[in-house]
Amino acid sequence: MSENTKKALVVDDNVALARVIQFALDGAGFDTQTAPNGRQAFELASETQFDLVVTDQQMPEMTGLELCRKLRAQSNYADCPIILLTAKGLELELPQLQKELGIDATFPKPFSPSALVKTVNELTSAAVS
Amino acid sequence: MIGKSPNLGLPRKVVACYLLFCLIAICWLALGVWFTSHSVLNSHSVNSCLARLGKTASAIEISYLRHGKQDFAKLLEQAKAEGRFAYCSIAGPDGTYWAHTNAQMQGEPVVEPTGCLLRWGSVTGIRFTDNVGQSLGEYQVPLTASTEPIGTLRIAVIEPNVWNTFGEVARHSPLTILIPLALVGLGAVMISRLTSSVADIDSQLRKIAELPPGTEVSLAPLPATDAATLGWNHLASSLKDLRNHSTSPGLDDRLTKAVASRKQSELAEILHNLSDGIAVTDPEGRITFANRAIAALLGTEAEEGGLEGADLADCFTRDLPELSHCTLFDPSMANRPVVSEVQRGSEQAERVLRVARQPLQDATLKGQVWSLRDVTQQKLADKMREQFIDTATHELRTPLSNIKAYAEMLATCDTIEVEQQKEFCNTINSEVTRLARFVDDLLSISSMEVGSISAERQKVETSRLFEEVLSKVQPLMQQKDLDFEVHLPEKMQELQLDKDKIVAVLVNLLGNAAKYTPTGGHVALKVNLDESKLHIAVEDSGVGISSEELPMVFEKFFRSSDERVQAESGTGLGLSLAREVVRMHGGDILVESTLNQGSNFLVTIPLE
Repeated sequence: MSENTKKALVVDDNVALARVIQFALDGAGFDTQTAPNGRQAFELASETQFDLVVTDQQMPEMTGLELCRKLRAQSNYADCPIILLTAKGLELELPQLQKELGIDATFPKPFSPSALVKTVNELTSAAVS
Repeated sequence: MIGKSPNLGLPRKVVACYLLFCLIAICWLALGVWFTSHSVLNSHSVNSCLARLGKTASAIEISYLRHGKQDFAKLLEQAKAEGRFAYCSIAGPDGTYWAHTNAQMQGEPVVEPTGCLLRWGSVTGIRFTDNVGQSLGEYQVPLTASTEPIGTLRIAVIEPNVWNTFGEVARHSPLTILIPLALVGLGAVMISRLTSSVADIDSQLRKIAELPPGTEVSLAPLPATDAATLGWNHLASSLKDLRNHSTSPGLDDRLTKAVASRKQSELAEILHNLSDGIAVTDPEGRITFANRAIAALLGTEAEEGGLEGADLADCFTRDLPELSHCTLFDPSMANRPVVSEVQRGSEQAERVLRVARQPLQDATLKGQVWSLRDVTQQKLADKMREQFIDTATHELRTPLSNIKAYAEMLATCDTIEVEQQKEFCNTINSEVTRLARFVDDLLSISSMEVGSISAERQKVETSRLFEEVLSKVQPLMQQKDLDFEVHLPEKMQELQLDKDKIVAVLVNLLGNAAKYTPTGGHVALKVNLDESKLHIAVEDSGVGISSEELPMVFEKFFRSSDERVQAESGTGLGLSLAREVVRMHGGDILVESTLNQGSNFLVTIPLE
């Protein structure tokens, strides 16, 4: 991997889903790591600077929103694109939080990985430009 | 005539009747006596007159032979005095009286009376009435002195008439009349006395008969002397009692009241036996009626009726002062019905009461009807249902998300290697299996609820059964590096069990143990077989279950609120299914657990 390869972090307690997203993002040219929960994800994010975070909302130990809040508190993650994977029916309170936490996109499960990749591409290219 | 006379009492009629018949009898008897006496006296006077006539004639004839006419007057006077005659006379052959007891007739021509002429041989009798109206009988016999006729002796006797006969009868036999008369009188007195009570009764009845119809009738009690008066007094008192009863509050009123009070007590009994608490308060909020359930719902240990008079709001707000601001007790809302839910009790045993208040009003507010229902179970069921929906959506969505993601990757990505394709397909397969299992669980639960599922017991090689279980759970144990201890009986026999279902139960229990025991923990499967039962214990050193949640673990859709449990996926159906299966086999499942120390599930299945 070249040095300017963008790094992505996929956080989901559903390991199989995390794997397929990892596969999809890898395919899109990312260097992707996975974490099963918010706590481990935060630890990873502290060690490595990621260019994209895709996180599930419902997770044990630390939810996706909490992770967002903690990441946004870090200056190096203030502008990092964050995509939240939600469950249908739980997205109602999100617009407010989305604005507050600067969540760039949400995907209610089940979602299409290609659509996710498309959004990711848009976000990261926008960030670069 | 007697029967129709309205003015005489019955006993008097009886006495009058008696006296009338007695009088007729006495008159008849007296007439007989008189008639007989008259006849006897009559013949007696004739006989005595004839005897005296003969005797006097003989004496005169002898005297005439001895002394001539000089002793005639003397003999006649003697005969008159002895025979009590009207007069005596001797008529000479010359047609004049030679001698006469009436001196004036001496020498006078003979008066021949005219009347009924009787004759006995030489004796002649004439019955006639003299100039003063006296009935006389004159008897004559010719006088002879040694075949020489010297005239006729005439003796006149007063014939006995009606009055004379009465006089004679009265003189000779006063008792014959007086005694029967006295007896008749005595009889009348006796009858009168014997019927005196009847007379009193009769007089009262006659007074009643004179009253206009519809008038209240009263009977006066009589001195109790005989059966009739006793009966009468009984009748009088019965009538009085009847009137007292019927007049006091009115029989109809009392009946209506009795029926109403019976209905009311039935209604009260129904209200008391309702499981909902029912109370009625007056406009000031004081309880006027409270059923039995309400005391229990309010947590007051009041006896029946003990709450009445108490302030209902006080009963609520005693423990929870913040409730006084609730709309239930807001006076401005008193005219509107309000339904509110109120939480009561300690944190461990919190209960939710649904309180409905309905105002009772027509023109003005008369009070409120309160109904209280313990909806704790309902709330719990709601909570469990919500939990289930959360769980179910999660359980459905996760495999669906995975399937969709993998399938789409397979379909759209051209650069996947064959090995990776296989891995993706296997993932899809296992997710489908997971979905299918969840759907099966749901179906089993609903089938068990309607009872359409039953244990199909077959002879099962027990060692095989446990082998199957172990093969399924060993990977789970290894995954979390758990110390898995297994105790199986040395000698395993064949048992009659529904193998698939029992395997599912044990896999579920051991799976739970693995799931909720932290890495490196301890799990044990201990199986014992005695003569009548199969005992299976599944022990773990996992998160345990709090004492509040312990009674609910076998309820459908129940999932612990413990975060460590929530972190794991689960449907809340496994233990519920396990209990159903064990019960189908006639056994039971129990749980012992201490929070943070571990749980112990004990399954007992009787051997057939």
